[in-house]
Amino acid sequence: MHIFIFGLVNSVILALFASGFALVYGVSRLANFAHGALYILVGFSTWLFLNRVGINYIGSIVLSILIVSLIGGAIYRFLLIRVKGMPDSEIIASLSIGIAIMELFRWRGFISETYMLPPFVKGSVNLLGVMIDWQRLLIIGVGLAIMASLWVFTHHTKVGLSLRAIAQDKHASMMSGIEPDRTAVIALAMGSALAGISAVVILPLGNITVETGYMVLINAIAVCIVGGLGSWAGVFAGALLLGFSQILATALLGPHWQMVVVLLFIIITLIIKPSGLLGRQKELEERV
Amino acid sequence: MGNHDNEKNLRKEGVMKKTFIRDFGLRLFLVPILLVLLGVCFLGQGGAMAQPIVLGVPISRGYPDGVDAERGITLAVEEINAKGGVNVAGKMRPLKLEISDTRDLEPGVPVAEALVGVERLIIEKKANFIVGGPIRSEAALAAMDVLSKHKTVSILSAGVLSPAYHKRIAENYDKYKYCFRTTGSVIPMIGGAINTFESIKAKKGFDKVFIMVQDVAHARAAGTSLKEGLEKKGWKIIGYEVYPTGTTDFSVGLSKAKDGKAQYLIPWFDMPEVSILMKQWYDMKVASLPIGYIHALQDEGTWKATEGKVAYSVVLYAKAGSVATKAIPMSEGFVSAHKKKFGTEPRSEWTSTSYTVVYILKDAIERAKSLDSEATITALEKTDLMGTYGRVRFDPKSHQIIENGDPKETAVGMWAQWIDGRRVVVFPDKIATRSLELPPWMK
Repeated sequence: MHIFIFGLVNSVILALFASGFALVYGVSRLANFAHGALYILVGFSTWLFLNRVGINYIGSIVLSILIVSLIGGAIYRFLLIRVKGMPDSEIIASLSIGIAIMELFRWRGFISETYMLPPFVKGSVNLLGVMIDWQRLLIIGVGLAIMASLWVFTHHTKVGLSLRAIAQDKHASMMSGIEPDRTAVIALAMGSALAGISAVVILPLGNITVETGYMVLINAIAVCIVGGLGSWAGVFAGALLLGFSQILATALLGPHWQMVVVLLFIIITLIIKPSGLLGRQKELEERV
Repeated sequence: MGNHDNEKNLRKEGVMKKTFIRDFGLRLFLVPILLVLLGVCFLGQGGAMAQPIVLGVPISRGYPDGVDAERGITLAVEEINAKGGVNVAGKMRPLKLEISDTRDLEPGVPVAEALVGVERLIIEKKANFIVGGPIRSEAALAAMDVLSKHKTVSILSAGVLSPAYHKRIAENYDKYKYCFRTTGSVIPMIGGAINTFESIKAKKGFDKVFIMVQDVAHARAAGTSLKEGLEKKGWKIIGYEVYPTGTTDFSVGLSKAKDGKAQYLIPWFDMPEVSILMKQWYDMKVASLPIGYIHALQDEGTWKATEGKVAYSVVLYAKAGSVATKAIPMSEGFVSAHKKKFGTEPRSEWTSTSYTVVYILKDAIERAKSLDSEATITALEKTDLMGTYGRVRFDPKSHQIIENGDPKETAVGMWAQWIDGRRVVVFPDKIATRSLELPPWMK
């Protein structure tokens, strides 16, 4: 039973890591390699607002997510827009911003192991014979809620439908009056906000470190490659596959196999079905 | 004619006046220059009288270990300079720090960068001695050749627990005699740890352990040695798992420890993510006491940051001193001075070792009465002083600090347990300030 419960927790965490990255790519065909940096940016800024400025926890979270959304939108509006259509340059530019943000924190001394956010719900519960903390159960709830909300948003709202329209056929949607740069700014801002929401629910499990940003980016890319870009079901399927595989590999083969299975799935996916399990992006191997 | 003579005289006077003004002006201009030159000569002489001793510090400043070492060294240098400096053959000379960020702890940074950092300190900054790092074993081992080439004496005081360091010195003394180390080696650390576990077994009667180590060289070596050592002593090893650096979920291992009814959990990690392990252990109420090298839990701020979820965890420090104990008087003064300067108690063992290393060097220079490498090496080999972690002496063949025993006789490590928001020393018995406690769900 603990494999099922912790496998589900691990899968939802991976899905949360990947949700913002997948949203941006699905809409603007832009691989935002600053995704991990935006994740830790929310972690550190929430910590700062909470512990240095004295704003309450919820206020700190809202403010941090708002700031990171603006930063995400600004990244596209002032930088990525200039290299639009050049995939290599887009990756290099976004990765450079990401590294700059992360190393800025290291440079400013954010290197202690005590940068931690408090859990929303304290304590543990015995769930079907497995002791698990409420924060992990909250992650499952938030993760599933985000996935459902994103589906509703992209299928039943005007902005969401315009985002999908741009992703499906840029020229046709432009003829319908949809402005691609504006939707890309919205996508980047929303993707950054998703990175922020993931950060505030996942980071209380451990501590905030600069290296976390790199780890989040790698995991997000892995989920998107295996699950397939452009499909929410694909992202969730990829996260479930990798999440349960990691827990199973740890239980049956040993913990050092957990990264091996991820890499193995990436290689197998790229050989057998380069667009991913449920992906719609056929040039995936050229883009990521 | 008369008019012509008058005109001539007037011209002559004018020329004389101009010459006088020019000469006077020149003098006015030359005098200050002369004064400045004299001043420079005088001050230069004065400067030579108090020419500083340059300590090169190659450390990874982007990581807590590097910051910890820098704080210890800075504190000691300021204390020594406040008392007049180092007495070199009757002349008091201040210490001057030159710090180089070698980035050797950062992932993906090549060892060559650390070597350039060390060499730059010696060549450009004219470092008389090297103290502190490099911190990563691989970088420190490679730096030995640089130190040997420049005949520069170095004392490591942060990281580098690999036994290979002092083995190389012992095997090729003439080449590597410039290298000393106070951090210790993982082998005596494990010996000390096994003695501690035996002592706990005698007191509590537990004999089942679950070992969890990080997938890095020193942790794997420690885990294997612990496993073999404990098995020989009759302990039952419930599980032995190796975790890749950056692991963020330990639920499977903890479940195995719980199912196997392990009484002790021995983590050996230097990665920050180990705090997740401790929080999961607390949340899952695993009835096994965590006791091991859990680097992220050494910080005084850990209790507040984890909201007390590190309670009862026992943390090994490679060297004592970062938590005050009456058994080692220098540790009390050091912890208090650190708190006054930096606002917190020392974080890791490397603050304590790096503080003491400056005093070790000062003592050696004063006995050598010179900054000469050969004379300093001879003096260092005869070192015998009390530091923040006990008595400091070096093995003259391997230049490894002599450790594991009574702090009055050797350097000692320390086991501190998190109780009521504070780190308290529980082992070794000679420096313990409190007895080991078990969490309520283990009683």
